[in-house]
Amino acid sequence: MIIFIAILIGCIVGAIVGVNVPIISYTYSGYLAIAIIAALDSVFGGITSIIKKNFDMKIFISGFFGNAILSILLTYLGQKLNVDIYLAAIVVFVGRMFNNLAIIRRYYIEKFSNDKVFSKAKKIIDKNEGK
Amino acid sequence: MKKKKIAITLGIMCLMLTLAIAVQIRSVKGGTQVAVQSKTENDLKDEVFRWKEKYDTTHKLVEESEKELEKVRSEATKNSENDSNAEKQVKENNMLLGLTNVKGSGVVITIKDNSNTKASSVLDPSLLLVHDGDLRSIVNELKNAGAEAIEINGQRIVQTTAIVCDGNVVRINGEKLGSPFVIKAIGLPERLYNVNRVGGYLEMLEDDGVSTEIKKSNDITISKYNGVITNEYMETVR
Repeated sequence: MIIFIAILIGCIVGAIVGVNVPIISYTYSGYLAIAIIAALDSVFGGITSIIKKNFDMKIFISGFFGNAILSILLTYLGQKLNVDIYLAAIVVFVGRMFNNLAIIRRYYIEKFSNDKVFSKAKKIIDKNEGK
Repeated sequence: MKKKKIAITLGIMCLMLTLAIAVQIRSVKGGTQVAVQSKTENDLKDEVFRWKEKYDTTHKLVEESEKELEKVRSEATKNSENDSNAEKQVKENNMLLGLTNVKGSGVVITIKDNSNTKASSVLDPSLLLVHDGDLRSIVNELKNAGAEAIEINGQRIVQTTAIVCDGNVVRINGEKLGSPFVIKAIGLPERLYNVNRVGGYLEMLEDDGVSTEIKKSNDITISKYNGVITNEYMETVR
């Protein structure tokens, strides 16, 4: 629970600060975009690993910054070579994002339906004991 | 305790993420027009490069055939004295017409638009720029001083050359040229150097704020005229 509160607070504060920060030049916005996709993937990966209970702080932080920087460098290289390498990075990151989202979704649906079954069973047991 | 740490890290990450997203959205919002513009610009650039390449290959072909013509000519005129005399005359006439690269002593004049003075700080900002008329006057003075061959930024001045204004550039031999202008002239250097005499045109330009520079040189190479000199309408009177 505390994790989701932290994420929510982070998002709100980030949005407020982002609105008031000076904008970057249009030339570099392509690099920032690909870095955002990489970072988004890392965050979803982090949430998934928390659910799976194998969260490692070092892996998470290095993945967050490493992926972003690597994707920026690849985009730059692609621009120099006149090849749209950033498309490959987007395909990989977004594909992984969908995987992670599926894992998160499954976990919570399972948890929710399990809770429902448990409460129903409890009700029946209570009823039977009351009789 | 561990969960708290994880939460704080994730929170900071999300803060950075949303910050970047907000910045990105704001910087892209105003820039879509630029993307379209730069696309057409790139297309135009591509086209220009393609045309230039075509022009270069054609130019090379022309040069090759010219060399061949020379060879054929020299071979054909090898045997008779009369013919080789005529060949010599053709060569000399070509040099006089400006159809050959030439070298010799002379002067090099460089004139440049004034970029240090603010246009708003002078009464007439057009005085700070080099105009077609300025180039014509300098060419006239050089010719008056006995220049045998003159070139402006690689464009040979021949008898059909026009120096005209074309917006913010000057058109010579149909080619658009911009500041700085390098005028090379072959002739007696001491005489040509008098272009910068007191009250001369260069001094007037300097007074107006245009930066000028004149140098004597013993080794000036002037390239040939690249166009074609036609004689469709005129003929010799017999």
